Amino acid sequence: MIAGPHSPQALMIRKLDSIFPLSEEERQALRDVPVQVTVLKADQDVVRIGDRPSQCCLLLEGITQVYKLTTEGKRQIMAFHVPGDIPDLQSLHLEVMDNSVATISPCTVGFIQHEHMRRVCERHPRIAAAFWRETLVDASIFREWLLNVGRREAYTRLAHLLCEFLVRLKAVGLVEDDTFDLPITQVELADAIGTSNVHVNRVLQAMRANGLVQTRGTQLIVPDWERLKEAGEFDPLYLHLEREGDA
Amino acid sequence: MSLTLQPVRVHTGFEEEGVLVFDGSQRLVAVLVRLSDRNEVAPGQWFLEAGFGPLGGVNYPAFADLDAAQDWIGQRLTQRL
Repeated sequence: MIAGPHSPQALMIRKLDSIFPLSEEERQALRDVPVQVTVLKADQDVVRIGDRPSQCCLLLEGITQVYKLTTEGKRQIMAFHVPGDIPDLQSLHLEVMDNSVATISPCTVGFIQHEHMRRVCERHPRIAAAFWRETLVDASIFREWLLNVGRREAYTRLAHLLCEFLVRLKAVGLVEDDTFDLPITQVELADAIGTSNVHVNRVLQAMRANGLVQTRGTQLIVPDWERLKEAGEFDPLYLHLEREGDA
Repeated sequence: MSLTLQPVRVHTGFEEEGVLVFDGSQRLVAVLVRLSDRNEVAPGQWFLEAGFGPLGGVNYPAFADLDAAQDWIGQRLTQRL
């Protein structure tokens, strides 16, 4: 696909730029990286635990999950990814996938061959540093989630997760008037915050009643950002954004 | 596995009644709650709100009625003890 203003490469550049400012030469080098665009259905594995991928997946539209299963088949979602992210970026250096990545909603993704990623990194060490930074931020998000799932109340956990979605989606221009699309089920929210869907429903109803969130179809509206942040004990530091906007 | 039930009110934030579930040795093994009709996930179903010992964990199911819930608890206790 040819790199235009709304190309897959432009989205990747915008995301990388939000955590690591790039020069025009580096941006151009990323625009020249070949990307194969594919549309995937909801609830479809992009890459599975044990796989040895030869490509990375750049998320262009939709939301994906990083997950693992217990032997009984219970799922823990460890992270969500939003457009501009590369959920399996670690596969560039770790040969075998130690987690699975699946779509939550229907997604558009762009596959980038590892060899092309390596070439652009070899020629542009600051791009390699930007990708490194992206994996470090992913690790920081895992650490924050461990605290969230392990030690916070369900109400705080969910508020924290919604804050994270808002800030990350805002960084790639997908939030308008404190409203964003969140095509995610209560089962998926439960598997992410380590509780049951029954309890997620109670918490969501309480959050709606308290005026922290409104829902309209799959749209989530945050009428009072400061209150949601307070309810979620949310400090965006762990996202290491260069420009946090008004987060 | 003979289970005994004792009605209890549980502070879930909704108008919901529940039962304490004891095993044959009169040990508390679970708290079941009949979900409010306002619950959007499993209205009116019996939900394993909390489990102890072999029933400890987080991914709790909801059951159509109290018998189904007791059967499930009985099976889990027999398997794990």
